[in-house]
Amino acid sequence: MDDDERALSPQEMLRLIEQQETAAAERFVPDPVPHFLAWGVAWLAGYGALFLHYGLFGRPYAPVPAWAALTVLWVLMVAALVISAATMWQLRSPVRGPSQERGTMYGLSWALGFLGVWTVGIRFGQQLPEAETGLLWAGLSMMTVAMLYVAGGAVWHERTMFLFGVGMAVLNAAGVMAGPGWHALLMAAGGGGGSIVAGLLLRRARRR
Amino acid sequence: MTSGLDPVIHAPARLRVVATLNALREGDTVTFPGLRDLLGMTAGNLSVHLGKLEDAGYVEITKTHRGRTPVTYVALTRRGRLAFEDYTAEIRSLLDAASPPADG
Repeated sequence: MDDDERALSPQEMLRLIEQQETAAAERFVPDPVPHFLAWGVAWLAGYGALFLHYGLFGRPYAPVPAWAALTVLWVLMVAALVISAATMWQLRSPVRGPSQERGTMYGLSWALGFLGVWTVGIRFGQQLPEAETGLLWAGLSMMTVAMLYVAGGAVWHERTMFLFGVGMAVLNAAGVMAGPGWHALLMAAGGGGGSIVAGLLLRRARRR
Repeated sequence: MTSGLDPVIHAPARLRVVATLNALREGDTVTFPGLRDLLGMTAGNLSVHLGKLEDAGYVEITKTHRGRTPVTYVALTRRGRLAFEDYTAEIRSLLDAASPPADG
């Protein structure tokens, strides 16, 4: 009988179960914290800059040109996309099966969602005044993001993700109705700030 | 006292294997090298334990090919999941019985 076969005390066996479950969960389940933090920073800084550009009552709060604010938003969003793909996609995961298929389908739904945003934005954006074009793009993309978070929450039964999506959908609708400055403010504070808070809460839950 | 515990799982190495596989979502499988890395066991040692678990009907081992390379996937069967749940419940009840109830 080798060492592998010799049973330990119930306490030690239980500890072995708990240790192994934690190690396995870390390996099998992607860590969502970098994703939430990266998108939070992108929206907070990007929409924050747009908010300063638009102002709430038609006058800018700071001399930030639109192109500069949009550059901040887009560059940080691309960076966040790379971070999400690297941490959530798990190309080198040893797991095969329905989870992998579900992840692929969900990833595809993001690509299709943004294909819709681009086509509608390009087709109709040209016919609107500058501020309205910006709001069209921002409103469409945040609506898509909100719906995909809601759907993701349903697919993985993740309440944080679902509730965050619900919050974004409500803020986005309110912001689009209120105008570009308000929309930028709500997306920076609610979307960006909310995503950072969700990331920090998830990190605490994971470490417990 | 511990004689009622499932002897197939009541060995540290196999307990770790089963606890790891139990963390997979139902229907998912893990590659043999992936499982080996996670457990830090040698391939030979892991094969021996998987063989015993397979004999008990607790794990399912699927051998297939990706292109020309053979790949082996491992998953817990329904019976294996139930056995692990029973084992964990029994261990917990043993511990509860051994320690006096905390009063507060």
